[in-house]
Order: sequence, then structure tokens, then C-alpha cells
Amino acid sequence: MSTVITAASTTAPQAARDSDTSVRLAAQAAQDCLAQAGLPPHAVGVLVNVGVYRENNVIEPALAAMVQKEVGIGLDYLVEPVAGFSFDLMNGACGVLNAVQVAQALLGSGSTDRVLVTAADVHPGGHAGADPGYPYADLGAALLLERCADDDSGFGPVRTYSARGTEGTVGYADLSGASGDERRLITVRRDGDWADRLLDLTTDSVLGYVLEEGLALDRTLLVCNRPTTGFAAQMARRLDLDAAAVVASGAPATQDGEPHTAAPVLSYLQAVRDGLPEGYDQLLFVAAGAGPSVVCTSYRPVDR
Amino acid sequence: MTTISRYSRFEALGAYLPAAVQPTSELVAQVTGVSNLPVERITGVAERRVADPDPEAGEDSFGLALRAARDALSNSTYEPAQLDVVICTSISRDKGGGRYHFEPSFARMLVEELGAHSAIHFDVSNACAGMITGVYILDRMIRQGIVRNGMVVSGERITPVSRTAAAEMDSIRDPQFASLTVGDSGAAVILDESADEADRIHYVELMTASAYSHLCLAMPSDRTGGLAMYADQKRMHAKERRRLWSSFYGDFLAKNGADFADEKFDYIILHQVATRFIESSIEHAEAAFGTAMPESLSVVEQLGNTASTSHFMALSQHLRAGTARQGAKFLLVPAASGMVLGALSATISNLGV
Repeated sequence: MSTVITAASTTAPQAARDSDTSVRLAAQAAQDCLAQAGLPPHAVGVLVNVGVYRENNVIEPALAAMVQKEVGIGLDYLVEPVAGFSFDLMNGACGVLNAVQVAQALLGSGSTDRVLVTAADVHPGGHAGADPGYPYADLGAALLLERCADDDSGFGPVRTYSARGTEGTVGYADLSGASGDERRLITVRRDGDWADRLLDLTTDSVLGYVLEEGLALDRTLLVCNRPTTGFAAQMARRLDLDAAAVVASGAPATQDGEPHTAAPVLSYLQAVRDGLPEGYDQLLFVAAGAGPSVVCTSYRPVDR
Repeated sequence: MTTISRYSRFEALGAYLPAAVQPTSELVAQVTGVSNLPVERITGVAERRVADPDPEAGEDSFGLALRAARDALSNSTYEPAQLDVVICTSISRDKGGGRYHFEPSFARMLVEELGAHSAIHFDVSNACAGMITGVYILDRMIRQGIVRNGMVVSGERITPVSRTAAAEMDSIRDPQFASLTVGDSGAAVILDESADEADRIHYVELMTASAYSHLCLAMPSDRTGGLAMYADQKRMHAKERRRLWSSFYGDFLAKNGADFADEKFDYIILHQVATRFIESSIEHAEAAFGTAMPESLSVVEQLGNTASTSHFMALSQHLRAGTARQGAKFLLVPAASGMVLGALSATISNLGV
């Protein structure tokens, strides 16, 4: 048994809106996935939301519960006795791939038939473009994951790597009461050498994964997030790969900043838009972010 | 689908409580907009622990989680470097003087501090069902053979919501009333594979009734900037919401050919909201399942509602005091914003506490 992607989607805020919410972006992408798969909301057993930055810096309930409500999953067991369950999983830019690992456990143990992963970030003030110090784009994405009987398809093992020392990137809301606008302000602070350390760790992680799993790197298409604009090109150079072998999608031109937790889904959709390119046997998802932490997992599409 | 024959168990439990005790009368006296609120009479909460606000004291949410994690490790056969995964489930996320961290994960910072450098790490946030949700995930990871063991940990410096409520409340019906019942703590559990039925997590089944996800929200106050919690207690704990739990759990038991009495629980631990909430939940369950409930383990009178740690604080306090025994079967019942409901059934026989 393996875990496969049944549907994937991304969402950007509507141009006419002054501000958007992570719940709406996540729910829109989730509904797109269900429409692609031709499934009703109650077909989803577990929803995992991995977004980090959110409207009003809200910390309770799990945003996943609000996304679940918006999508119409498991609203009220007394009205419709089909249970849904949801929770937030947070690990910076790596969340989607951690959620894949949790989905492998949930699908494999028969806890549910389908896991919907949503990944949406918005600036807590509602509009990333209005804060020049904030590096991420307002974006949402979703992946619908299911079991597949074919062991040669789907995700391989998910592996986590981290480097010792300082976190590299820290994102926080200051609730000391000094600003008077605590719901709308967020600080993302980065060490001077964060990008170099992250590139080092990511390169080592990819080489480690390829060795541990016996993958042929020259036949593997890397699907990455984009911590910096030049990240994919630098990765390709470090790994002595063709530039086209590393896909790291940027945000739509209408959005300021780089994609954050939604990034692996954006890059995946770009990588497989026309099927797996000639010369490649599989994908290697790579997410790199605060910690510094890197999570890797291989993926063989069902219809490659 | 793989046939599952593997189970998990609770291997070690850790806890940390700040030394400072705040009587409810002292907190009530700080509420500037309403006099003599009957918080203790309504909720049964006589006192709670309050973390030292000095960043040097190490009692922010992160510090409470770290101390609980170290306590669990001191009761465990595992060394930090042997942990396969660390899942941190704090709702409150402050580290270093009022900064609420969104990234990196607390779990990442914990593995660095603990020396669990190769551990998978991520945070889970699911309101007051956070630790039980973390156990649900880790149980499935162990059963699938993805990891051999792991830690679920939470540090909750949640009493800043009490200070916000004291400064802002203007009536007994204010949505911040429940903020006067919370207390600070840290808790951690280590799970590994179960070798026999007498030492095992039998099941963890959870549900989010999302139609009610808007009934309790925590975020910075738009009046004073501190952390605030706004709860529609009346609607959250209405009779119909209780029926959500008993219907879901009753259906789960029936699907497995069992009823509540067949489970032969020795103890039940409900979410530690208030003494009256616990009493009425038990009355409802006895009526719904047509049988007496097992002995209820409570700490809400002394510790208040400690958010995501509450079930594990109750377990820890009672096992340590000898008022609950090893070798017994426990039912843990969450009731959290979301709304998250469900059941965790475990026989606990060899738990390091």
C-alpha cells in the first residue's frame, strides 16, 4: 500500500479584495481538490492544516476546524452522523511534507480513507504587500491524499533533517502590549547567514536522502520550496544538475513575496503540468525552512 | 490496507507546575469592571498556578514544555537521542518576553535543547485537545512502524488571558469569563510499542464538529493587546453538544460490538473545565449509556483549566499521589474548541511518573 496525490490545487487572493484570510484560501483550494476528484465533503476523514501565518494572529481554535467548517466536512454529527476530524500541524515551510508523513500513518492504519492537507498563509493584517518587512506571499494550497494498492507509486519514506545552532528564521507576534495593533503585526527575523546555512543543509539532505533510498539523482526531478529567489539555481549548481532538474515555483505575479507553506504544492503542479518530463523516473519533494529544518520525500506519480 | 497488529502504550509521563499559587479570590479582586464575580462558586476553581513572567525564570510556554519534557525523560528508559519524534502541542506559544512564535516549531527548538537531534519534529495545534491529538498521531505512527517511539509535549502559559479578562470584563456574561479559570503548567508523555494488552493504548478516536468552531477564539485583544480568549460557554457546553460526544462514542463502541459497561473502565478523566461541567458531563454520560461512570479524576479545583495539558496533569497528579493506581483502565475524554470530542482508552501498567 502507498499514499498518492489524488488532487492538488492552489489559490491566490482575489484581486478585488483588500485582504483575505488563510481560512478562505485553504477552503477554496480544498474545494477545488474535491471538485477535481468528484467527491463530496463528507468523503474526507481527516483535514490537516499546515499554514503558519494567519488572520488576526489567532491561536485557538485550530484553523483546520474553521477550514473544515467552510468546506462543509463533519459539521454536526447529530445532523449527519459522518465524523470528520481536523488539526493544525505547524513546522514552518516543511508542514506539507510532515503532513504527508502523518497521512501515511493515518491511511496505512485504516484510520481514514482520505486526508486533505491545506496550506495557506496570509499576513495577519490581511495583505502581505502592505508590509515590506514580511517575506511571504498570501497564498493557499491543498493536496488530497489517498491509499493506492500499487506499491511502486506514491510517496516514499519521509525524512527530516536539521542543523544544530540558531533557528535561522524566527516569526513571531509581539504581545507585550506595546504596539496597540497586536492582531495585525508580525515580525519575521532572519540571521545574516540564514540563506547560506539553509542551502548547505538542503544540499546535504538531498544527497543523504538519495543515498539512503537508493535513488538515481540524475533521473530525479527535485520539487522544492523557494526560500530565496535564486534557491533552485543554487541547488542545481551545488548538486551538479541541469537547471531544469530543480523546480521551485514562485508566487503568481499579482502577489508580493515568496510562497511559504503552499510552496511544495505550487512546485508540484508546475512539475507535473504536462506529465513527468522525459528522462525522469520520480520526483523528490524538498522543503527547507526555519529551524533550520529540511524534510524530503520521493514521489512516483501513478500515471507517469 | 495493512492489517494492524501493532499497538502503542504510555511509557513515561512528565509534568511541571510553576511554584506560584494564585487563589481565585485574588484574581477576582483584580477584575476592575465587575465586583465580586462568583468564579469559585460557579466553576469550583479555588486556585491555579501562575508562571513567573520574568523571561529569565524560564516559565514561558516554551520553558514549561522543556521542563515537562525533561521530567518525562527522567521517568523514561529512553535517552533524548533515542527519541524518533517530538510533537509539541501548546496553544500558547510564547518564548522570551511576550513573543508568540509561529516558526520555527517549538518541537524543533525542543529537540535542539533536549539533544534529540535526529528526531522528526513538528507542532500540532488543536486547542485543549492538543495533547490527545498528538497522542492520536503518534499512536498511528507507531502502529504503522514509521517510528518506534516518541514524545508528545505541551507547555501552556495561558494565564495572560486571565489578566486581559481582569482588565476588560464588564459583566458576568462577558465572553472572557472562562479566562478567569485557567492555570499554567507543562506536561509530556513518551509512547512506544505495546508488548501486551495489560499495558496498551486500546484506541484514540477523535471528531471535530466543525459547525461549532467559532464558539471559542483566542487571539490578541484589540483593546489592550494581550492574549485574550472569547468563549460562548453557554452554547459550547449546551446539552446538544454533550449529545454529540455520547452519540459519536456510542456509535464507535457499537461498531465494535461493545457498549460502555463492557469497557470496564476504572477511571474517567474529562477535560478540566470546571467542577460543575465535570459533574454534569458524568450525569449526561450515565443517562446516555445507561450505566454508572467510573471514578472521575479531577485537578481543576487546585490547577484550574490547564488547556491542552489538562488530562495529563490529572493523570500525573493522581498517579503520583496514589489516588489512581497502575494496572487500571483509563478513559480520557476531550472537549475542546473546534469542537473536538472523542475518547482515548488505555490500560496503564508500567508508566514512569
